[in-house]
Amino acid sequence: MGSRWLLLILFSLTTSALLAQSPPPAPAEPTVQSLLDRIQQLENRLNQLEDRERKHEAVQVGAAAAPAPAETTQQAAVMTPAPPPPAPPPSHTQEHASMGEIRDTERRFPSLQIRGFGDVDFSATDKKGSISGFNLGQLVLHLASPLSDKVSYFGEVSFTAQPSTYDLSVERSIIRYDYNDYFKLSFGKYHTPIGYWNAAFHHGAWLQTTIARPEMVQFGGTFIPTHFVGIEAEGNIPSGGLGLGYNVGLGNGRSSILSKSGDSGDSNDNRSWVANLYARPTRFYGLQVGASVYRDKLTPQPGQNFAEWITAADIVWTKEKPEFLAEYANVHHRDVATSNTWDSQAFYVQLAYRLPWQQSKWKPYYRYEYIHKPEDDPTLVNVLDLTGSTLGVRYDITNYAAFKGEYRNSRHGVNEPRVNGAFFQTAFTF
Amino acid sequence: MTTHWKFASRIFALSCLCLALLPLSAQRHDVDIAVVVHPDAPVSNLSLSDVRKVFLGDRQYWSTNIPVVLLIRAPVARERDVVLKIIYQMSESQFKQYWIAKIFRAEAATAPKVVYSNDMANQLVTAIPGAIAFIDSKDVKPGSTVVRVDGRLPGEAGYPLR
Repeated sequence: MGSRWLLLILFSLTTSALLAQSPPPAPAEPTVQSLLDRIQQLENRLNQLEDRERKHEAVQVGAAAAPAPAETTQQAAVMTPAPPPPAPPPSHTQEHASMGEIRDTERRFPSLQIRGFGDVDFSATDKKGSISGFNLGQLVLHLASPLSDKVSYFGEVSFTAQPSTYDLSVERSIIRYDYNDYFKLSFGKYHTPIGYWNAAFHHGAWLQTTIARPEMVQFGGTFIPTHFVGIEAEGNIPSGGLGLGYNVGLGNGRSSILSKSGDSGDSNDNRSWVANLYARPTRFYGLQVGASVYRDKLTPQPGQNFAEWITAADIVWTKEKPEFLAEYANVHHRDVATSNTWDSQAFYVQLAYRLPWQQSKWKPYYRYEYIHKPEDDPTLVNVLDLTGSTLGVRYDITNYAAFKGEYRNSRHGVNEPRVNGAFFQTAFTF
Repeated sequence: MTTHWKFASRIFALSCLCLALLPLSAQRHDVDIAVVVHPDAPVSNLSLSDVRKVFLGDRQYWSTNIPVVLLIRAPVARERDVVLKIIYQMSESQFKQYWIAKIFRAEAATAPKVVYSNDMANQLVTAIPGAIAFIDSKDVKPGSTVVRVDGRLPGEAGYPLR
C-alpha cells in the first residue's frame, strides 16, 4: 500500500517537472478585430518584402559590378545589408528581411502624415422657427511632418459648408523647433492655450466625446479667442512628480472681428500675450490641473479700445473610467476711454464613463454649461447668457468612427424659453 | 470494498496532481518584460511613472541631442498587452486614439514605431540612437542595456512589468 502512495507522489512530481518545461500557454484570446489587424499588417509586410526582394534581384542582375554608394551616417551603416551570396541559405534570407524591417523604421525627413476628419449631423429642436434636418459637418485635414529630429510642422485646414459655397480656413499652421523637453519654440497660428478644451481638442469631432464643443470655446464664438497668431514657447518644468508644464505666447490677438485672429496682421499696435501653467502629477495618472492668463487690447472699431484680461482654470481627469472635464473662465473688459469695466463668466462640467461591456464601445456622458455676460458689455455682443444640459452617448463603431446621440436642454438669453433638442452625429477619421 | 478503495485512491491521486499543477500554471504568466534602451541613452534606472511619461510622449528627449524613439510590438504580442495594461492603462482603440490626438495636437511628431518580433526590437534598439523598447526578458540579446524600473531588474521580486 505504501509503495502505491509513493508511486502516486512520484507521478505527480514527475508530471509537474515535465509540464514546467512545456511552452507557456497562449496569451488571453485576442479579439477578432485585433487578429484581422494583425493579419493585415503581416500581409502588408509580406508584400513589401516580396517587392523589395524583386527589386534587389533586379538591381543585382542589372548592376552586379557597381559598388554600393557609401552611407554617410552611422545609422545607415548599421542598416546596410551585405550583398547576398548567389544562393543564400535560409538564415541569411531571414537576416535580410530583418535589415529591411530596420530600414523601414528609419526616420525620413520630411515625412508628411495627413489625417482627415469628418462628420455628418442631424438636429431637431422645439425652438420656434428652427428647421430640423441633416447637415454636413466640417471636413478637416490635419497635417504633421517632422522636418528633422528637432523641427516639425503641423497644419490644420477645414472646409465648412455654407449655403452657396464651402469656406476654406487655415485653422492651425505651426513650425516648431524643439531644443529639449523644457524648451520648444514655435511660430504660426495656434488654438489659444486658454483652459483645457481649446488646446486639447481641435477641429474634427471624432476627437472629442460629445457632438459639440462647450459654447464658451465654440469655434466662431467670441467669449474667448480660440485662435492665436504669433510665437509660443512651451515645455516641461523640472518639478519631479508634480509634472509641471507651461505655454507662453506672444501674438496679434483678436482682430476687429472678435471671433477671428489677426492672420493677416494686427488690428492695433498692441501685442497680446498668453501664459498657461499646468500640472500632471505622476502619482495621479490622468489628472491635469491648469491655470491660464490672457491679455490683449481690443479695437472692434477705429477709436474704440478695450483692455481685455482673461483668467481661466481647469481640472481634468482624462482616463475614460471616468472622464471628467471642468473649466472656468472670467473675461474682464475695460473701456480705455471711460474706464468702465465688465466681467463675464463661463464654465462647464462634463462627466463621461467608458462602459466595460461590448468591448468598451459605449460611453455615456453629461455636460452642464453656463455663461453669464453683463447685458451692456459692448464687446461680447454676440454672446448670450446660457444655462444648458447635454445628455448623450457615444458608440465607437470601429477604432476610427463613432456614432453619438444627444439630448440638450438649454436656455439662451435672459427670460427666454428653454429649448429641447435631439442631435445625432457620426464622426470619423480617415 | 476493494473497488471503493481503488476509486478513492484514484480521486486522491488526481487531487494531488491538480494541487501540484496549480502553482505552475500561476507562474507561467509571470514572464518579466524588460525595458531595453540604446546604449547611448543616458539612463539606467527609471521609475514606473518615468517609463509612463516616456511612452506617453510627455518626455521626448533623453538629453538635448538624443530624442526618444519609441518602439512597441504590433497588436496581439504579449509585450504590447503588458505595455497597454500597465503603462498606458488603455485598450487598443484608446491607444490608437491617444496617439492620433497627440500627433495632431502638435505635441509629438511621430507615433511609436511598430516592431513585429523581439528579434527586430533587439536589432532596432541597438541601431537607433535614443530607442527604447519592451522585450520579453528571455529574448533580450546579451549585452543589451536593460533599464531598472523602480530600482529592479527583470526577474527580481517586485518588478512591475510582468
